[in-house]
Amino acid sequence: MPNSIKQFSWFLLLGSALIVACKKEQTVVFGVNRVGISEDKSNKTKKKNGAEYISILYTNLYQKAISPNQLYKTQNVLYSIGDQDVANEMLLSNYFNTGSIVMPSNAIMRSDIEAFVVNTFKRFYLRYPSEGEKAFFKQYISKNNAVSVEMVYTAFATSKEYQYY
Amino acid sequence: MNRKKFIQKSSMALGAGIVAPYLLPSGRLFAKTGSVKADHVVLVMFAGGVRQQESILGRYLEDSQGVLGAAGNIMPNLFEGNAPTKKVVYGTSIAGLPNGSEPIPKLLTQSMENSGVLFPELRALSAGHYVGLSTLLTGNTGTAQGLRVRPRYPTIFEYLRKHAGFKATDTWFIGNGIGNSTPLLNSSNHPDYGLQYGANMFAAPVTFSGSGREVLGNSKTYTRADLEPMYYIKNFLDRSFALSKDQIASVSNTDEERTQIKDFIKSVFAKQQAGQLAMPPVFDNGDAVNVMYAAEVLREFKPKMLAVNISSVDGCHSNFTGYLQNLHRADHITGWLWQHIQNNIPEMSGNTIMIVAPECGRNEKPNPILDQNDWLAFDHSDRNALRVWSLMLGKGVSRQRVGSEAKPIGRLTDIAPTIADIFGVLDPVMQSGLLDPLAKSQFLQL
Repeated sequence: MPNSIKQFSWFLLLGSALIVACKKEQTVVFGVNRVGISEDKSNKTKKKNGAEYISILYTNLYQKAISPNQLYKTQNVLYSIGDQDVANEMLLSNYFNTGSIVMPSNAIMRSDIEAFVVNTFKRFYLRYPSEGEKAFFKQYISKNNAVSVEMVYTAFATSKEYQYY
Repeated sequence: MNRKKFIQKSSMALGAGIVAPYLLPSGRLFAKTGSVKADHVVLVMFAGGVRQQESILGRYLEDSQGVLGAAGNIMPNLFEGNAPTKKVVYGTSIAGLPNGSEPIPKLLTQSMENSGVLFPELRALSAGHYVGLSTLLTGNTGTAQGLRVRPRYPTIFEYLRKHAGFKATDTWFIGNGIGNSTPLLNSSNHPDYGLQYGANMFAAPVTFSGSGREVLGNSKTYTRADLEPMYYIKNFLDRSFALSKDQIASVSNTDEERTQIKDFIKSVFAKQQAGQLAMPPVFDNGDAVNVMYAAEVLREFKPKMLAVNISSVDGCHSNFTGYLQNLHRADHITGWLWQHIQNNIPEMSGNTIMIVAPECGRNEKPNPILDQNDWLAFDHSDRNALRVWSLMLGKGVSRQRVGSEAKPIGRLTDIAPTIADIFGVLDPVMQSGLLDPLAKSQFLQL
C-alpha cells in the first residue's frame, strides 16, 4: 500500500475515533431533592441543666407543666445526690407510683411493638429510631415478657441521650 | 491446630483470665505499693473555721473577749484539759438555769488527744472554707481554685479509686448542704481523674429532708427481675450515645451499686418514719444531722473512705456565743461518731482510722459585731486563720504529739497523702505530681 493511502487511512481512523469518543456529558436528574444526612443523636451536644431536665421530663410524663415550687424542690434534692442516675431513677419511680402518668398500657405496647418503639423514640428523643434500634427493641420486647412500658420509659428517661438536646 | 499451639494458646488464655480481673483502672497489675495500715478511714472536716485559741489552746473567753479567769477546754472528747468554770454558755439549756450553762457530758472515756497522734500546730494553706476543704481532700494548696467549680486537682477519692482499685461505693463524701461548692467536693475536674473515679455523695440534710421525702420517698420498690430489663435497655441506649470523658456528669456506680444506694435511701426514709435513726445524744444543730446520716452510710456501705464535713461554727462571723456552742457540739458529735463505729459497726471496729482537722482557722482580732452576751465575733482572713491542728486515732496509731505552738510541724496538705499512706498507695499518689510538693504523709513525720 502506498504511503499516502496508509497515512490517509490512519488519519480517517483517528478522526472517526475522536468524533465517536467525544460525547456531551449528560446530567441525570432523578427528581429527588438534595438532603443533608446525619444521625439525629449526633446533633445533641448540649447538656440539659437540672431545671431543664426535670421540667421536660415532668411535662413529657404528665403532659402538663411542673409548678415552680415543685421544680425548685426537685432540683435541690437531685443535686444533693452524687450519682445522678440514682437520683433520676428514684424520681421516675416516684412519678410512676403516682399512677397519673400518661402512657400506653403493656397490652398496647405488645399489640404493635414497632409503633410503640417509634412513638417512644419520638416522645423522649425527638427523633425516629434507626433500623438497628428498631430491630433491637422489637426483638427484646417480643422475647421478654418482663419488659413493661414503665421499664422502657425509665430506661429512656435516665439514658444519656435524654440528658442532651 | 497442632498440640503444641493448642497448649500455648490455652495457657495464654488461662493466664489472661487470671490476670485481667486484677488490672486496675490505672493500668496497674497490683493495687498496693505499701502496707495497708487500716481498712477504713473516716475524715471529719471540722467544722467551719476554728480558732486555735478556743479549741486546742483551751482559752475559752480569756483570749477572745478578755475575760480573766475564763480559760478552759470546751472540747473534752478531742482534747485534754479542764472545762471552764466561769461564764459557761456553751452547753445545753436547762429550765431555771442560764442558757447554755450545762456542758454536754463527755462521751469518750479517753480523749482523742490521749489515744492518737496530735499535730497541734499545722499550717493551713488558705483562710477560706472551700479552698481549705479542697486542700484537705486533694493535698494541693488550691491556688487559683474557683468557687462553684469542682477542685482543680484530684481528690483522695479519685486517687484511691484509680490507684487502689476501690469501687464507687467504697468512697463517700457526706456534705452538709448544697450551698456554694460543697456538693462538688466528691471529685475534681482533672482530665486524668474526674467523676469516673469520684466518690458517691449525699448532701444529707437535703437528700433526707422533707423535700427529699416528697421527691424520692414514694418511689416503688422494684425487684431485681423488674430492674434487669430496664438496665439492659438503658445500657443499650447509652452505648449508642457514647459520651467523651469530659462529658461524664455522674459517678460511675455499677447497676448493683445503684440498686443498693436506692434501697439505702428508701431505708433511711423508713427509719425516719419509725424514729429508728441512731443519733448523737445532743442533737440540736445541722452538723448533728449530717453526722447522723454519715453514720447510716457507714453502717450500710462500710466504705473504705468516708469524708464528712460540718460547719456550724462558721456562725462565729456574727455570734460568738453560738460559735462556742457549736464548737462544743462539733466535739460531741465527732466523739459520738467514733464511739458509734466502735460499738455498732463490727466490720469497722478496730479496723478504722479517724482523722479530724479543721479546713481553716479564724482571725486573731475580732470584728465589731456583738452578740447577745456582748461578745465580739471573728472572721477568717489573717495569719491566725492559717493556724489549725489535726488528730488521728485508730488502728495502729499510738499516742504522740508532733510539733508545738513554738515549733509548728506539718501542713494541711499532709492529710491526703496520709490517707493514701494508710491504704498503701502513697507512692503512686505522690508520683502523680499533683500534690503540694511540700505535702508529706503524717506517718513519715512521727
